[in-house]
Amino acid sequence: MAVPGRSRGALGRTADVLFALTRADVRVRYGRGRFRLIKWLVDPFALVGVYLLLVTFVLGRPGEAPGLSLTCAVVPFQLLMMSVANALSAIEHRRQIVLNMAFRRSLIPISSVLTESVAFGASLTLFVLMMAVYAVPPTLALLWLPVVLAVNVVVGIAFAYPASLVGLWFPDLRQFAISVVRTAYFVAPGLVPLSAIHGRTAELVRANPMTGLFESYRDVFLRGHSPAAWELLLPLGIALLLLAVFVPLYRTEQAQFAKVLE
Amino acid sequence: MTVGIRADGLGVRFLFDRDRRVVTPALARLRRRGLELWGLKDVSFEVGPGEAVALVGPSGAGKTTLLRTIAGVFTSDAGRLDVHGRVGSLLSIEAGLLGRLTGRENGVLLGVLAGLSRHEARAALEEIRAASGLGESFERPVSSYSQGMRARLGFAVADRADPQILLLDEVHEALDHAFREVVEERAGEILGRGGVVIAAGHDHPLLERLCTRAFLMREGRVERDGSFAEVQTAYLA
Repeated sequence: MAVPGRSRGALGRTADVLFALTRADVRVRYGRGRFRLIKWLVDPFALVGVYLLLVTFVLGRPGEAPGLSLTCAVVPFQLLMMSVANALSAIEHRRQIVLNMAFRRSLIPISSVLTESVAFGASLTLFVLMMAVYAVPPTLALLWLPVVLAVNVVVGIAFAYPASLVGLWFPDLRQFAISVVRTAYFVAPGLVPLSAIHGRTAELVRANPMTGLFESYRDVFLRGHSPAAWELLLPLGIALLLLAVFVPLYRTEQAQFAKVLE
Repeated sequence: MTVGIRADGLGVRFLFDRDRRVVTPALARLRRRGLELWGLKDVSFEVGPGEAVALVGPSGAGKTTLLRTIAGVFTSDAGRLDVHGRVGSLLSIEAGLLGRLTGRENGVLLGVLAGLSRHEARAALEEIRAASGLGESFERPVSSYSQGMRARLGFAVADRADPQILLLDEVHEALDHAFREVVEERAGEILGRGGVVIAAGHDHPLLERLCTRAFLMREGRVERDGSFAEVQTAYLA
């Protein structure tokens, strides 16, 4: 009998494990069949609808193409929010395999983000719809989209590592952690663009990694120009800092996951 | 490379907080831990090619902890453990299966985690289906399976990764008579090829058929290492 799995390198093995974990997670969390698409679209569509009503009628600050502007914040936020929500229970949800199989536990948070990236991918259709509604034509700035998406995913992974540990260490604080991420949306230019925020508040809001992300989506989809360097570099820098702190901590802790879950 | 397992002063520690919950070392520091227990303490042994060892002892003696440490699920906190050879394991009745996935989906997941490539895991599905004897149930969510069905699926997947070291923890006791014979036959093949089998449980006739050697475990230590008959007598005395 040929020795199984020995023809692959470490990278191939990692990719296989990541794919298998993600595929299983998508099935466990979202089930099967065409209704999955509806599940993935309901949240971003509903959020954009609610915030559109809020911005247009309650706050009276619709601005330029408000539905598209909100989509530029809601869609990337959904990836971060769902990644954190998934990561908070990711280790516990994989209890059976953690207790029975030896594999790289450090792939679990990445798998959480990839699971939610599938739903995120579906929600990108909202941009197409909003651009059509507001008659905003696509421009060459869309070539920046892969870079913006990549930064979004890296920030998601950077949030997922601490979220996985918090979910394991303090299961009672999971709802609180979700509230913290939700609060971060409201202290970023989620409802209105950064240009509509002035003075010291605008400077403070820039420090939120979500600000650069939201604005870079607006540049690509709404304003039709390249994102400013800070809009991508600041979230990326914060993400790398979080990864530098939490990945080593996670790697130390992962050896003990099975003991905690037993 | 010769297949084998060598433990030298092996120790596995569990940390508890003040509420008696198991915690990780970082959290223990944060919460000022309440208690420290050694699931394995100063365990030393050597198991060579072609040897089958039964782990015998009361519940809580450290049998499952030792198997999980050999499988790489637990890491050691003291001493040294060298495992040479591909490990296949069936360590709990749940067998690592995720209840909401079908037998087929679990087959791919566990196959990849056991060391197969995605392509190999998919290609092995029909063999796993046949070997597990699950028939149409293979397409149903595992949450609808009996304990025996889960153990059969878990074993079929573990076996497909062509283990050189087979670890069995009581779960073979959940298997029906026919499938037990399959497990025993497979264990015999692994031993015949110079592999290692380690089995824990309370079904002594089954363990005796599988293993010639045994460890008597108590309170996380190997109290006695000898022939199965000798160790069984000491345990029951």
